Amino acid sequence: MINIYEAQVANKRKSALIVILFIVFITVAIYIISQAFSVYLGYEPGGLGVAGIALLMSGLLSFGSYYYSDKIVLKISQAKPADRSRDFNFYTASENLSIAADIPKPALYVIDDSAPNAFATGRDPEHAVICATTGLLQKLDKTELEGVIAHEMTHIKNYDIRLASIVAVLVGTVALLGDFFLRVSVRGRRSKNSGQLAALIMVLGVIFALLSPVIAQLIQLAISRRREFTADAGSVAITRQPSGLISALKKISSDHEPLEAANKATAHLYIASPFKDKAKGAVGWFSNLFNTHPPVEERIKVLGKMV
Amino acid sequence: MLIPLLVVVAVLAFWVISTYNFFVSSKARIKAAVQEIGNQLKRQADLIPNLESSAKGYLKHEKGVYKDLTDARRAISSAIKSGSVQKMADAGAKLASILPNIQVVVESNPELKASEVVTKLMDELRDTSDKVMFARRLVIDLTADFNVKRVSFPSSLVANLFKFGEQAGIITPQEGEHVEVGKEELETPKVKL
Repeated sequence: MINIYEAQVANKRKSALIVILFIVFITVAIYIISQAFSVYLGYEPGGLGVAGIALLMSGLLSFGSYYYSDKIVLKISQAKPADRSRDFNFYTASENLSIAADIPKPALYVIDDSAPNAFATGRDPEHAVICATTGLLQKLDKTELEGVIAHEMTHIKNYDIRLASIVAVLVGTVALLGDFFLRVSVRGRRSKNSGQLAALIMVLGVIFALLSPVIAQLIQLAISRRREFTADAGSVAITRQPSGLISALKKISSDHEPLEAANKATAHLYIASPFKDKAKGAVGWFSNLFNTHPPVEERIKVLGKMV
Repeated sequence: MLIPLLVVVAVLAFWVISTYNFFVSSKARIKAAVQEIGNQLKRQADLIPNLESSAKGYLKHEKGVYKDLTDARRAISSAIKSGSVQKMADAGAKLASILPNIQVVVESNPELKASEVVTKLMDELRDTSDKVMFARRLVIDLTADFNVKRVSFPSSLVANLFKFGEQAGIITPQEGEHVEVGKEELETPKVKL
C-alpha cells in the first residue's frame, strides 16, 4: 500500500530519470554522428553545423504540429463540441474536476464512435482540449467518467503534451542526422586524415546513425508509458477514488470494438491504446517495448495498491 | 576563488527567492480557492430556487423534501451574507446531506422517478454539491502543500525567516465523533432487500 502522494513523487522521479536518460542518449548520439561527419568531411563544419541544421529542420516541423496539434487532431477525428444538456455528465464532471485540478476548464469535444476512449491535447492548460467518444459517455457511469477525465486533466496539468512534442523534436533530429550521415557516407568519398581513431569514429558514426533513431524512439515510448502511470496516480489524487478509474479501464479494455477515428499518429493521446492486439510471454514483452501505453492489467494492479 | 563563491551565493539567493515565492503564491492561491467555494455556494443559492420552482408541481406532495430544499437555500444565503468561509462550507455540507433523503423519496415514487424534471433536479443538485466538494478539496490540497513545505527542511528555514504562519484551510475539529470508530461501524454492514 502506498498513498497517492508517495505514488506521485515516485512517478515524477522515474519520469524525470527517463527524460534525463533520453537527453543524455540524444546528446551522445548527436555528438558521435557529428564527429563522424567532421572526420568524413575532413574539417569541422562551420556555422550551425550539421547537427544544428537537423535540429532546426525537425524543430520547425514539430513546432507546426505542436502549435496546431489540437486543431489537426480534432479535424482528423471529426470531433464536435460537447453540449451541456446533451452530454451532462461529461460536461459537469469536467467542470468540477477542473476546479479540483486548479486548471481552466478545457474545451470539450465528442467523437461519434461507439468504441469507448478519450484523449487530451493542446499546448498548455489554457489551450487544452479533452475529447471523449460517444461510446465512453454511454458505457461509463459518473464515477468512472470522473476517473477518466481526471486522468486526462493530469496529462494537461503536467504539460505531457509539451513534453511529448519536445521529445518528438529530438527523436526527429537524431533520425534526420543519421539519415544525412548514411546518405553522404555511402557515396564513399574517403577523408584524407584516415588514422585509426578516424576509422573508429566512422564505424561508431555508422552504428549510431543506424541504431539511434530506433533506440531514441524506444525511449520516447518508455516516456509515454511512464506518463500514463503518472496520469493514473494524478487522477486518483484528484478524485480520491481509484475504483472509478479501475472499472473504467476494465470497461474500456474489455470492449473489443476498434476505434475508427484513431490512427498511429493519434494513438499515444488516448487513455488506453485504441489498438487491441495482445501477445503474451516473450513476444508480449517485446511488443510492449513498442507500445505507447502500459498494459491495462499492470495499470489496474498499480491503481489497486493506492489508498 | 571569487567566482565559485559568487556562483554559490547566486544559487542560494535564487533558491531563497523561489521558495519565498512558493509561499506567497500558494497563500494567494489558497485565498482564491476559498473565494471559489463562496462562488460555488453563490451559484448553488441562485440555482436552488430555480430548481425548486420548476420541480414544484412534482414535489408538492413531498412536503418534507420541499422543506429540506428551502432550509438548505436559506442556510446558504445567510452564510454568503455573513462572509464566513466556515459557515459557507457548513451550508454546502448541509445540502450534500439532504441529497440522499431526496433520492430515497424519488426512488420510492415511480411517477417522480420517471419525470424528466425531477431527474434533472437530481442531476443538478448532485452537480452543484460536487462543485462545492471539489472547491473545498482544492483548499485542503493547497493548504496541505503549504503546511508541509512550511515545516519540512530546508524550506522551513525560509518559512521561519519570513515568519509564514500555518494556513488554517477548512477548519475541522481534530477530535470528536468523526475521528472515532463507533460500535456500529465496526460491524459488517447488512443489506436487506
